[in-house]
Amino acid sequence: MARMKFLCDADRCSECNACVTACKNEHEVPWGINRRRVVTINDGKPGERSISMACMHCTDAPCASVCPTNVFYTTADGVVLHSKDLCIGCGYCFYACPFGAPQYPKVGNFGSRGKMDKCTFCAGGPEADNSKEEYDKYGTNRLAQGKLPLCAEMCSTKSLLAGDGEIIAQIYKQRVTKRGYGSGAWGWQTAYRESIAS
Amino acid sequence: MLIKRTERQARRGSLATALADQSGGGFDRRTFLRRSGLAAGGLAALGALPLASVRKAEAGAPPAKGAAVTIRKNICTHCSVGCTVIGEVSNGVWLGQEPGWDSPISRGSHCAKGSATRELVHGDRRLRYPVKLVNGQWTRISWDVAINEIGDKLNEIRQKSGAESVYWLGSAKFTNEGAYLFRKFAAFWGTNSCDHQARICHSTTVAGVANTWGYGAMTNSYTDIRNSKTIVFMGSNAAEAHPVSLQHVLEGKEVNRANMIVIDPRMTRTAAHATEYVRLRSGTDIPVIYGILHHIFKNGWEDKKFIEQRVYGMDDIRKEVAKWTPEEVERVSGVPGAQLEFVAKKFATEKPATLIWCMGATQHTVGTANVRAFCILCLATGNVGAPGTGANIFRGHTNVQGATDLGVDVVTLPLYYGLVEGAWRHWSRVWETDFEWLKSRFDTPAMMNTAGIPSTRWFDATLLAKDQVTQKDNLKAMMVMGHGGNTVTRMPKAAEGIDKLDLLVVADPHPTTWAVLGERKNGTYLLPIATSYETRGSRTSSNRAIQWGEQIVKPIFESKDDLEVLYALAKKLGFEDKMFKNIKVENNLPVAEDVLREINRGGFSTGYCGQSPERLKLHMENQKDFDVLTQRAASGPAKGDYYGLPWPCWGKPEFKHPGTPLLYNSNLSIKEGGGTFRPRFGVEREETLPDGTKRTVSLLANGSYSKDSEIKDGYPEFTLGVLKKLGWDKDLTAAEMEVINKINPTTPDAVSWAIDLSGGIQRVAIEHGCTPYGNGKARANAFGLPDAIPVHREPIYTPRPELVAKYPTLPDARQFRVPNMGFSVQKAAVDKGIAKQFPLILTSGRLVEYEGGGEETRSNKWLAELQQDMFIEINPADASDRGIKDGAWVWVTGAENDSKARMKALVTERVGKGVSWCPFHFAGWFQGVDQRSKYPKGADPVVLGESMNTLTTYGYDPVTGMQEPKATLCQIRAA
Amino acid sequence: MAKLFAQIRFIAAAFALVLAVALTSPAAAQQPSSVNPSAAAVQEQKLLQELSRIQGRISIPDSRASVLEQPAGRDWRDFHQVTLRWIGGIVILGMLLVLVLFYLTRGMVKIENGRSGRKIVRFTSFERLIHWMTATCFVVLAISGLNITFGKSLLMPLMSPEAFANWSQWAKYGHNYLSFPFTIGVFAIFLMWVGGNIPNKVDSEWLKRGGGIMGKDHPPAERFNAGQKLIYWIVVLGGTAVAVTGYLLMFPFYGTNIDGMQLAQIVHGVVSVLFVAAMFGHIYIGTIGMEGAFEAMGEGTVDVNWAKQHHSLWLQEEAQKGTAGSSAKGRMAPAE
Repeated sequence: MARMKFLCDADRCSECNACVTACKNEHEVPWGINRRRVVTINDGKPGERSISMACMHCTDAPCASVCPTNVFYTTADGVVLHSKDLCIGCGYCFYACPFGAPQYPKVGNFGSRGKMDKCTFCAGGPEADNSKEEYDKYGTNRLAQGKLPLCAEMCSTKSLLAGDGEIIAQIYKQRVTKRGYGSGAWGWQTAYRESIAS
Repeated sequence: MLIKRTERQARRGSLATALADQSGGGFDRRTFLRRSGLAAGGLAALGALPLASVRKAEAGAPPAKGAAVTIRKNICTHCSVGCTVIGEVSNGVWLGQEPGWDSPISRGSHCAKGSATRELVHGDRRLRYPVKLVNGQWTRISWDVAINEIGDKLNEIRQKSGAESVYWLGSAKFTNEGAYLFRKFAAFWGTNSCDHQARICHSTTVAGVANTWGYGAMTNSYTDIRNSKTIVFMGSNAAEAHPVSLQHVLEGKEVNRANMIVIDPRMTRTAAHATEYVRLRSGTDIPVIYGILHHIFKNGWEDKKFIEQRVYGMDDIRKEVAKWTPEEVERVSGVPGAQLEFVAKKFATEKPATLIWCMGATQHTVGTANVRAFCILCLATGNVGAPGTGANIFRGHTNVQGATDLGVDVVTLPLYYGLVEGAWRHWSRVWETDFEWLKSRFDTPAMMNTAGIPSTRWFDATLLAKDQVTQKDNLKAMMVMGHGGNTVTRMPKAAEGIDKLDLLVVADPHPTTWAVLGERKNGTYLLPIATSYETRGSRTSSNRAIQWGEQIVKPIFESKDDLEVLYALAKKLGFEDKMFKNIKVENNLPVAEDVLREINRGGFSTGYCGQSPERLKLHMENQKDFDVLTQRAASGPAKGDYYGLPWPCWGKPEFKHPGTPLLYNSNLSIKEGGGTFRPRFGVEREETLPDGTKRTVSLLANGSYSKDSEIKDGYPEFTLGVLKKLGWDKDLTAAEMEVINKINPTTPDAVSWAIDLSGGIQRVAIEHGCTPYGNGKARANAFGLPDAIPVHREPIYTPRPELVAKYPTLPDARQFRVPNMGFSVQKAAVDKGIAKQFPLILTSGRLVEYEGGGEETRSNKWLAELQQDMFIEINPADASDRGIKDGAWVWVTGAENDSKARMKALVTERVGKGVSWCPFHFAGWFQGVDQRSKYPKGADPVVLGESMNTLTTYGYDPVTGMQEPKATLCQIRAA
Repeated sequence: MAKLFAQIRFIAAAFALVLAVALTSPAAAQQPSSVNPSAAAVQEQKLLQELSRIQGRISIPDSRASVLEQPAGRDWRDFHQVTLRWIGGIVILGMLLVLVLFYLTRGMVKIENGRSGRKIVRFTSFERLIHWMTATCFVVLAISGLNITFGKSLLMPLMSPEAFANWSQWAKYGHNYLSFPFTIGVFAIFLMWVGGNIPNKVDSEWLKRGGGIMGKDHPPAERFNAGQKLIYWIVVLGGTAVAVTGYLLMFPFYGTNIDGMQLAQIVHGVVSVLFVAAMFGHIYIGTIGMEGAFEAMGEGTVDVNWAKQHHSLWLQEEAQKGTAGSSAKGRMAPAE
């Protein structure tokens, strides 16, 4: 059984933001909501690295456990999805998320967060696969179409990998062996409690 | 309801199980490997999931039930890499984008711009219909009215001031067909003042490279960098400007454990991945190159055999290099000798090595000399003409290579036929137009062979006194098709120039900066133009490969195709019959395929003759057959071809030349894409020795020749006469001889490979293994240029005025019909102590989210969100001296025109102390004033900001009129 | 060997050159003669060991987005899912248990001498308005707040997820909007009654005698006895704490970052459950715990005998002012 994961190879990432706009494009994500983003560490200094980050679809996801209304569920592929119908916009998943993944549209005058939005691993939500309702709430369900998340598919340098955890870990390991360096599978320790020996 | 979710989970489970059954472990392993870039492209055929069948039932944004989804293939319009864009269209609506996995160039990848490109046809901020300015108000008009009024005004200006008073500013966004027709249009109008973005991007590259070894283009390709052992970037931030190219660079770097050296004033996103980063002072490229050559010559690392056989004049370089001791190099450029020795060793001994450059090198008063120096470094180390080597010039726009090739330029006709009678006659034969009629279109016959005004100087030609501009009258009208108004330096002057024009026509998908700069109240027309996704046609990537793009959707709103607009204008001006004599016009739209066929018929000089629309379409349909590393199709209907038939693709299409993936590669036979250096500047040269005696030196290759060549030495270009001497003329067919005889009935022997419309001379030469253009030496000494040997010259506004005495810029001179007062300006700046008032170097560059003047990309909400403010990078030390905090507003003042600009400070160590950097994509604010209200309603870009070029200053390359936005001075203070 | 030699020579030459350059031109010393950005690449594990979170630069103008990783989210989750539930459970259930046991052992505290029939104004209508406004808000806030932490385990199994989400959504609106009158109430309470709630010597005596909770002892007290003062300060300080932390959570990223909000939530959660527990005590003593107490806030007047028993000093004071014995309702109480 596949266990879907993301892996950003920071030694390939050049902060081109293709993943960010690919996501916007695929799901028509509105201004102000960033399901995926790229952060640059040590900007401008030798050793700088950029990392593309979104929901990592954690093992034992903190968002799911703190959610007061149980909106989260994990699919058989290990993708952490949520139901916007059940979300009350309390913000707790955002406090618990180690990756800043949950996003909230501003709907009211003060702090009234709208329903949480986040990366779905291009796997939609609880509605019927590729229905209009699903698309309107969560965007395209590429997984159901037999495709992987567009952010990774369009990555300019093949830095961002998405897919079965074992396979992408293997790809990353091979890269590190081949080139002789690697700054780590960013977020894996925190999200999956595992690291890829490099 | 909860039940539903459980149900769904079960369903999801079965889906995954189904997939697992199909491919042995979740998603197909091979698909993964391929998509992650580990496996070779050949595995594409094995790609597992039956996507197409899934596709029909389920689209991205779900189409209406039962509606068919078609896939259309085009090329990204944002840079010269040429990434494939796959559009999913249903009922004429572009629903979604998919990765173009089969492209041997992009392999499914995109950068931020390519990934967001569908938004272009959403049209949120597009110009919807033609408008004109009436007493300061944008007023909607019809296309017919617009074309009529514009045509009448053009005729009026032509009568009063002459044809030269109208400027034709074209675009690197044109398809090849658009570019070609635009140049043809200017010729039919009767002027050579016809230019495009190449002027301000790689004009100096084209001049420098062509003057060295024959053709002004990238020698190798993006994908070929995978073969390099040493990769040097100089003045190129490919990570932001050409992100997908970095895929090949980084994979090559990993697989070969290659050296990646970045030489740049700024620690860029590209430099972050380097194995060595060299920080130099802006504008000191030549000292750095000479500093590298110093170590190469000193240690004997040069490629002596290569120099002996294939290079002319390297000894002259040695003399100049001798002046550049490590100490002097460091004094001028700031780069330590030890570091340059390290770079020199890597570049010269860990081969193949490639040198990549961009605007950081070209946009200088010494741009051409910089480029020449780079070429010389490649020549000295034998790093040209083989896989993994070469001058890999990354060009900027999607079709800047094609538009340059097709002569949207002030010094050439299409395909580098120069402004001489022979060239005009060649094209009149292709066009089947009377040469005398063409001549009559110009103000005087002499103007026909006079270089036009470069796009960097149009406002000088408008503002200067009439007697200062070498033509009948000042410039009165600007016809701008697809060119930003904020990309040229000295914008305060441009604003004045705009106000003085009688007519300003901007034909573009967006209003552009032209629409808001200056204080015009009347006489401005904005015409909505379709983007390349709404048209069809070919475009040439930086690696000279030509790709055919399909129309994804019909032009939105009232937008029209460039071709249609040119046809309408030609019709209005009364020469459409002549201009479109051999081009079919359907519903007022010239057929792109016919235009390309006409290019093929005349494009022998550059090998644009073999790429018929049919062959190009075949490549696009069978992308999967092409190998990423070699770019060659191993099987399929295009078997043996190189992807996109990179020029030169010799002979007629039927000759089936596979294209030339690497220029000057003598390891391959010409028929297989090999080549030699082009002897373009004669076959021999008289030199004067120090003792006064003279000797004649051959400029032809010495004992070097391409594989399978029947001539085992250098040889000149082929003419019928040469063929006759070799006895090869018998191989010409009777039909070919007939065409040759028709071209020059009096002396057919003079008919050369470049003007032989039969293609016979090329065919015969190639069948004997010879390059049609000859086999010459590359020139280290490019006699004829202002600096035949590259010479360091300080920027006009230098932070080191004490160096000006030793390294002054060239004396004032008249160039391209206007004066170039660089020397006087530099002297005045030194005398006035400008460097004290403006102590910071100001340089510029690209952001990955935006492109060029940025109208298109700043109007794209997905991109605009990522860069919402114009900013200036400043070193933390300089910032703290000025009390400036990261993210705070600052005023930046420029060294000329009392210019000032308000923007945000980005305090970062990307720039060194004493250096500041700005992106050049912003416009819509001018000297602190927000001009949003001046745009036509609803067509204002999402993000506006100050233009970097408000602050830039005087300075022009003597060879091409290139501006200098990369090395000027400024001051910054907290706002 | 030759290669090694060449390398040594190269290094030596480079060194000599650097030295020479350094000596001749001091300015040049700024620029190192080799910079290898690849080799200097930051390592995630190292950063995580050094810092609690990893932050960088991002081009979108949104500071929260520049935090790449904050593994502290996991710790916060543990607090919220484990620690807070235990604290809440123990404190609230414990308090209920104590009250039940207390009631069973002590029963209602009666007015020893029976009702006198004479009433004295204890709280004006304004005071009661403020009290009840605050109290109502508090009850809604408490229930909706507890729902966030405990609802999923206690309520959700009783209804469909949609119904629970619907209820929780309204509860959240209630929680957010009622926070404003609640805050105003707390502030008003602070101003209104601060004068009578400054601890003094009487309180220490009262406390020493255990407030007379057990047995028949009734230590003298002013208008507010030490127990009431305790409640007062719990309301004022606790109310302030939950209000401040609540607003920080309600207005994300105004003046805080994610760490701050996690901390705010911890404070909010812990203070709230303690607050709720304390209010159970308050409610108990104001209702079934003591005869005649509820009418103080219910009608605004108390029986003089009740006053004598529980607030002897206050009664004396009121008597001196000549207001004792008045049965006229709605009469303005003297200024505190």
